[in-house]
Amino acid sequence: MTNPAPRSRRHLSEILGRVAIAGALVGPALLIATLSSRVASASTKSGVISAVGAENEYANVLSQVGGKYVSVSSVLNNPNTDPHTYEASPSVAQAVSQAQLIVQNGVGYDAFMNNIEAASPNPKRKVIVVQDVLGLKDNTPNPHLWYDPKTMPEVASVMAKDLAALEPSHRAYFQTKLAAFITSLQPLTTAIASFKTKYSGTRVAVTEPVADYLLVAMGVKILTPFVFQADVMNGVDPSPENITLEKSFFTKHEAQVFCYNQQVVDSLTVSVRQSAESNHVPVVGVYETMPTPGYDYQTWMLAEVSAIQRAVVQHTSTKKL
Amino acid sequence: MRFLFEPGFFSSAPVGTAFVIGGVTAVVSAIVGVLTVVRGQSFAGHALTDVATTGGSGSFLLGISPLVGFIGAGVVGAGAMELAGVQRRRGRDVATGVVLGAATGLSALFLYLDTTRSATTGVTQQILFGSIFTVDPSTIPVVIVLSVVTLALIGWMYRPLLLSSLSSELASARGVGVRRVSLLFMLTLAISVGLSSIAIGSVLSTALLIGPAATSLRLTRNLRKAFVFACVFGVLATWLGILFAYDSYYWDPSSQGLPVSFFIVAIIFLGYLVSGLTIVRRFVGPRVPTRGRAETPRRARPSNVGEVV
Repeated sequence: MTNPAPRSRRHLSEILGRVAIAGALVGPALLIATLSSRVASASTKSGVISAVGAENEYANVLSQVGGKYVSVSSVLNNPNTDPHTYEASPSVAQAVSQAQLIVQNGVGYDAFMNNIEAASPNPKRKVIVVQDVLGLKDNTPNPHLWYDPKTMPEVASVMAKDLAALEPSHRAYFQTKLAAFITSLQPLTTAIASFKTKYSGTRVAVTEPVADYLLVAMGVKILTPFVFQADVMNGVDPSPENITLEKSFFTKHEAQVFCYNQQVVDSLTVSVRQSAESNHVPVVGVYETMPTPGYDYQTWMLAEVSAIQRAVVQHTSTKKL
Repeated sequence: MRFLFEPGFFSSAPVGTAFVIGGVTAVVSAIVGVLTVVRGQSFAGHALTDVATTGGSGSFLLGISPLVGFIGAGVVGAGAMELAGVQRRRGRDVATGVVLGAATGLSALFLYLDTTRSATTGVTQQILFGSIFTVDPSTIPVVIVLSVVTLALIGWMYRPLLLSSLSSELASARGVGVRRVSLLFMLTLAISVGLSSIAIGSVLSTALLIGPAATSLRLTRNLRKAFVFACVFGVLATWLGILFAYDSYYWDPSSQGLPVSFFIVAIIFLGYLVSGLTIVRRFVGPRVPTRGRAETPRRARPSNVGEVV
């Protein structure tokens, strides 16, 4: 005869163990289910389109075009960090999953957005990729598309079209807002054209390709080799040849202005800036994302153009906007 | 000459700085490295690089020089390891697995904060893999002073250090403060790891410490010769690495130079491989040590341990 009591006790402990395991598995699952239902229930106000701009300059233009019928948040908006090394947080993922309209740069600059969007599929969500609006290839070397004066007018009209598709009753409103935005770009366009006629061929050294599209539109000659700019942008060491070459633009007084990216800084770019300063080459600070507060897209770009013009004409530095 | 040295090599300021810092660091690493191998503490040297990484990545958050961070964390880590006995073979697996994992995790946090909270772009590359061409020339005096202090410290405690490396019991019997000597040596090891972290990055600094030393101890059992050989090989590998990195700018039409740390570590590794070839060892290989030479590093080879005891 076997002893029944120990066996039943063993059964009991086995059952308890299984219950514990099942609880350990089901508990978190329930928790996740509760959390996700909370996320889903956090719906937006009716009539107001919730939107996300991956970079705050796109978010700014989107809120100008959408006016009171759009609520925009931005992902990259800290002027003290380098967007190239950004890692998305869970709160960003939640904002993206709820957004009806998203504007992102593309060209690998904000690849994290694609991952978040893929993680929360929504067939009704509209995504404006600026790279696609401009018809650029994936291997476009310079991703800082918003510095090109031709970019925002095109992007803004796509924004107006998509906003109208989401809220057809406000189509006329969005068109009026779009027209107002395009008109407000006039001082910038004039400033760029006037610089180009007066100071075309100005020689400028840079650390990074951030403002290159704007500089080219202004008729500036960029002295710094693109390989050096790409190395700094990507956070790898430039070759000693190019470091020497970059500093020689200042020691030989070849560069009239030095455009310094305030958001992509390392010991090398600091030493390059010091070289410019000690050789009395005016320094102009340029930014990856729109400096806040106090600027919108138009005034920011205009401030950069004015700062470069002051550097050329009056030889004064504008290290920070 | 033109073939080997591409234009502007001798007049380039970054190359000049790299030559001085790389050369000085290679000498210190070679001397400390030979003693590290003889004492069987290669693992401690490697462990210190993990701790130094934490200090180097934390230095950007505090706004201090990475050299201070590397050496500061290295010294604290060396002291802790010496007290805990981590560098000894027994018990090292568990303690190091946990402590070094934590140190590396902390580095990950610091590097994340460095890149997300402030505009420090190349910091991960700079800390882990070094950027000798972008070192601020004002670092040179600091590097030289630290090197002189380290070598002076080793010279001062050379005899007791060697005796305690061969047999700590014998050293204690002769009145050597074995614990104190060991602690001081860990201090020199921490400084040496910090210096080579500046040159080739914290992850690769073990290569410069152990590589030339291990190679030279394969070729000679005479400790004085081993010191000289390790210094020559270390400096040669570093300078050749700098030269190749400079020349690599001209190899590719896109003018994309290749990283200097890769060349230095590759040369060291090749040297170690070549030193193991029978034909090389037949010509410059170790001979039977002369009788009565105290500095003969018998512990360099595990098979010789029995003779000492």
